[in-house]
Amino acid sequence: MPLLTESKVFIRPDGPDKVTGSGRYVADITLTGMLTAKFLYAGISHAEIIRLDVSAARRVPGVLAVLTHEDVPERRFGSIADRTLFAKDVVRFEGEVVAAVAAIDAEAAQKALDAVVVEYKPLQVVTDLEEAIADGAPLVHEGWADYEAANVERNGNVASFTSMTRGDVEKGMAQADHVVFGRYVADATHAAPIEPRGVLAQWEGDRVTIWSSTQVPFQARDGVCETLDLPTNRVRIIVPHMGGGFGGKCGFHYEAHVAALARVARRPVRLVFSRREEFIAPDRRREGMIIEITTGLKSDGTLTARRVRVLLDNGAYSADSSFFPHMAAMHTLGPYKIDNIHAEAFSIYTNHQPSGSVRAPTAPQTCWALESHTDELAAVVGMDPVAFRQQNCIDTGETGVAGQVYDEIGLQECIREAVSGIDYGQDLEDDEAIGVAVGWWPSFPGASGAFVKIDRDGKGVITTGAQECGTGSVMTLPILAAAELGMEPEDFELVYQDTSVAPYDEGATGSQTILNNGRATVEAARQIAVQLKNLAAKKLEASPDDIVLADGRAHVAGSPESAVSIVELAGVAAGGELLLGKGSGTPPEYPSAVGVACVGDQGLSGWAGPQFSCHAVKIRLDRETGVVRVLDVSAAHDSGVIINPIGASGQVEGGVMMGIGQALTEGTVYDEDGAQKNPAFLDYKLQTMADAPPIRVHFAEVHTPNMGPHGSKPIAEAPNVATAAAISNAITKLTGQPVPRLPMTAQRVWETMRGGGDG
Amino acid sequence: MSFAIAGSLDEALAALAVGARPIAGGTDLVVGARQGKAPLPASLVAIDRLDELAHIESRDRGIRIGAMVTHSQLMIDQMIVSGYTALADAAALVGSPSTRNIGTLGGNVMNASPAMDTGAPLMVLGAVAQLRSARGSRTVELSDLWTGPGQTSAETEELCVAIDLPPRPARSGSAYVRLEYRRAMEIAIVGAAASVTLADDGTILGGAVALSAVAPTIIEVDDAGALMTGHLPDAAAAAVATAASDVARPISDLRASDTYRRHTVGVMAARAVDAAARRAAGEEIGVPVNRAIGVGASR
Repeated sequence: MPLLTESKVFIRPDGPDKVTGSGRYVADITLTGMLTAKFLYAGISHAEIIRLDVSAARRVPGVLAVLTHEDVPERRFGSIADRTLFAKDVVRFEGEVVAAVAAIDAEAAQKALDAVVVEYKPLQVVTDLEEAIADGAPLVHEGWADYEAANVERNGNVASFTSMTRGDVEKGMAQADHVVFGRYVADATHAAPIEPRGVLAQWEGDRVTIWSSTQVPFQARDGVCETLDLPTNRVRIIVPHMGGGFGGKCGFHYEAHVAALARVARRPVRLVFSRREEFIAPDRRREGMIIEITTGLKSDGTLTARRVRVLLDNGAYSADSSFFPHMAAMHTLGPYKIDNIHAEAFSIYTNHQPSGSVRAPTAPQTCWALESHTDELAAVVGMDPVAFRQQNCIDTGETGVAGQVYDEIGLQECIREAVSGIDYGQDLEDDEAIGVAVGWWPSFPGASGAFVKIDRDGKGVITTGAQECGTGSVMTLPILAAAELGMEPEDFELVYQDTSVAPYDEGATGSQTILNNGRATVEAARQIAVQLKNLAAKKLEASPDDIVLADGRAHVAGSPESAVSIVELAGVAAGGELLLGKGSGTPPEYPSAVGVACVGDQGLSGWAGPQFSCHAVKIRLDRETGVVRVLDVSAAHDSGVIINPIGASGQVEGGVMMGIGQALTEGTVYDEDGAQKNPAFLDYKLQTMADAPPIRVHFAEVHTPNMGPHGSKPIAEAPNVATAAAISNAITKLTGQPVPRLPMTAQRVWETMRGGGDG
Repeated sequence: MSFAIAGSLDEALAALAVGARPIAGGTDLVVGARQGKAPLPASLVAIDRLDELAHIESRDRGIRIGAMVTHSQLMIDQMIVSGYTALADAAALVGSPSTRNIGTLGGNVMNASPAMDTGAPLMVLGAVAQLRSARGSRTVELSDLWTGPGQTSAETEELCVAIDLPPRPARSGSAYVRLEYRRAMEIAIVGAAASVTLADDGTILGGAVALSAVAPTIIEVDDAGALMTGHLPDAAAAAVATAASDVARPISDLRASDTYRRHTVGVMAARAVDAAARRAAGEEIGVPVNRAIGVGASR
């Protein structure tokens, strides 16, 4: 039974606030006596700090705090503990924070920054991935053997590493009729949320409240506690409305810097980033990559072996990037049936901005490479690329590259529906083509908690640790609670985004809100359902087991006329045992992957609840200029049972648009010194509403056991995987050969057509 | 820093005479200051309330466009759309709706960006700038006005008050097309404007072509008129494409390489000639051409 009837349009509770402009974001909050924070950034990609003197800055009128590494506890943090709040001795990327000031206004703060004396001795800059792992390469972290990290092998500039082997890749290659090699290079990109981040901190005694535009308030809290030596119950993170994240606001960022400033200044302090800062400073950038794939196949299209090597640009520090090599390896191997594989993936320290989770980290680039390569394979054996995928992609009960046997999955339905949704065989103009690509993405089961209560008038409140990053996932929780209690979603209000009020949640990261917090909410609501059934059983003189909650009433099964309203039961409960539920929900276990050796692995043994997709894209190529325009998109997704169709479709549409940007116009350009050349929207070109093609969405609603509520799987990241790949395959049909570099800008497409280019 | 609002043109000119800089829409000045391109001038005089500069007037010999006329006005004004269509094409492509609503033609002209969209159309349409100061007025050819990126030959005390355009000959059409990577919020990678007058036999009687973003200023393809005259539009467009690529002196930057710019400016020039000739022949091609017939990402 669907959770929402087709006639029911669910209006997300935060919608009116956001649409009318009445919603408040961090930058809208003003506290009495509040100061403005500004950071001094390194402005140089690799250098030794010879001198750092803030005494003149402290004397600037209106300046109440100036901090450097000397003013905070000496703590390293990160998934590999390789960084500190403030640079000490060495700076390793241009956006590294050297000093922070708080002043009565932005002008005074700027004067203080100008008065900081800092002298650098430039060190050799590491930017090229191949050079960085060559013998004798200068090290980004000279002393990193001393950093704390789990399961990491220390080896030059390699920050983290995965190798995967299954079967015998040499033997598999020997069995092949054709061996095809491809090399693909992807530029770095950015999450680019519309709201640059803001942080506001206020101390009351020895407790601090921090308003932050973070996707992960509990991680932010833990970062503050770790770096400033505070217990969790004295740090409260509140997130007002957040203007998008796309992964860029995952992790712990500047909450501790601002809290430290506020403590010294004895005033509330607010930091609001400029767009330039949002581009250069956070440890959240989609990493550049070099991807090499060799595949052996038989003339009938059977894949016999695949060898992949992926180099990822880790940047200067490791935020959450240490599991990326595993993800990159899995995505470069792909959702295919191949018995003999060998994959190696390295995340490599450079003097670029650190990489971190941006919507489906590692997947769009590796999928682009693999799926471009897959069309080449199909061409080599003279097969249609769709038929080639239908033959080689995994299906229910089959074994994937990592040896995992997949339960009920809908990849084949996705391929079928995506191509039928775009009318794959249609007659095309000679400057038009359709490209198709498949993608996959894992689910991330984890800890989460929720409280649900029903008050005397039968109205409910869900108090959740989950974070709403704009996807609408938190807004969907009332649907789940209402379904358990026979109530309407509108009967519930949400209290959310406050670490001191709600139980722990990992945050809006890894598409996990409905998966994890959804289960927690359902469990909490079920406890209340038990209470309501007991109350109703007494009232109706029936067994609690026979009570059904539906349509706002409790009735005896089979006798709908024997009923009592939930409002009445709530009134009874209000005078006695209150209607309170709490849930955490046992996370589903990760499946095992058989026969895979993982060395230095930071990833997942098997993929829990893998989501599958197929995107088909129709483009037009302006052959005289290389400009590609996307005319039509058909996207089919297996994200299990869909709970809120409007929200899920919105995620697919947004993911496709982000994918078009990555495919055609979005790419960070670095100069030879490691600095970004386009940290602004004029030259980092996002797609606009005017560029949006029609996007048809199909959901292969495979009921998935042991995963999200009601047989669901996550949806937020999966739509951002396959679009660039599908566009690449369409372009190749018109140019004759793939554009070997992402983004496939007009100039690069034109250069490919001329048979040249910079690769 | 001082900021004054001029209540009359004379007040504005008096302020300029003592060192103030004019501000109208502020879409270049304020955005540039925010991005750290150049700080705001120490003394500003706002001219945005000078309504007498905000009109498009028909005159005995052509039309006069007040310096305060916005891009939004230009893209829908019937005189501009019907007679000086290339200018409407360009105005409709500038920035976003809010930029077009507040950004002015005078500002665009005096900002003197080589990537400005209205510049090439004004040049092929034979526009001249009217400059005023407390000491008098003068008329300046655009090719004399623009001296380099962001540089003009105007004195600091001079204010651009209007752009004058001569009357259009019969059977004339014009168009501006630009290379763009997306359909909104875009800046010219390269662009080209063409003006064409047709003879009765469908050959070209005369015309002009000018280019955006391929030199330190907007430049005219000097021999375009001669190359087109006497030829049918197709042949003329091909000849102009080569001439445009030859005359271009583009730089390599983030947006494109010099090689790519040199090639694509020829493509844009040919498409501009084609659209201008079709308009001259009476074909209705909507504004902007980029959207109507498809240029780059547009169709």
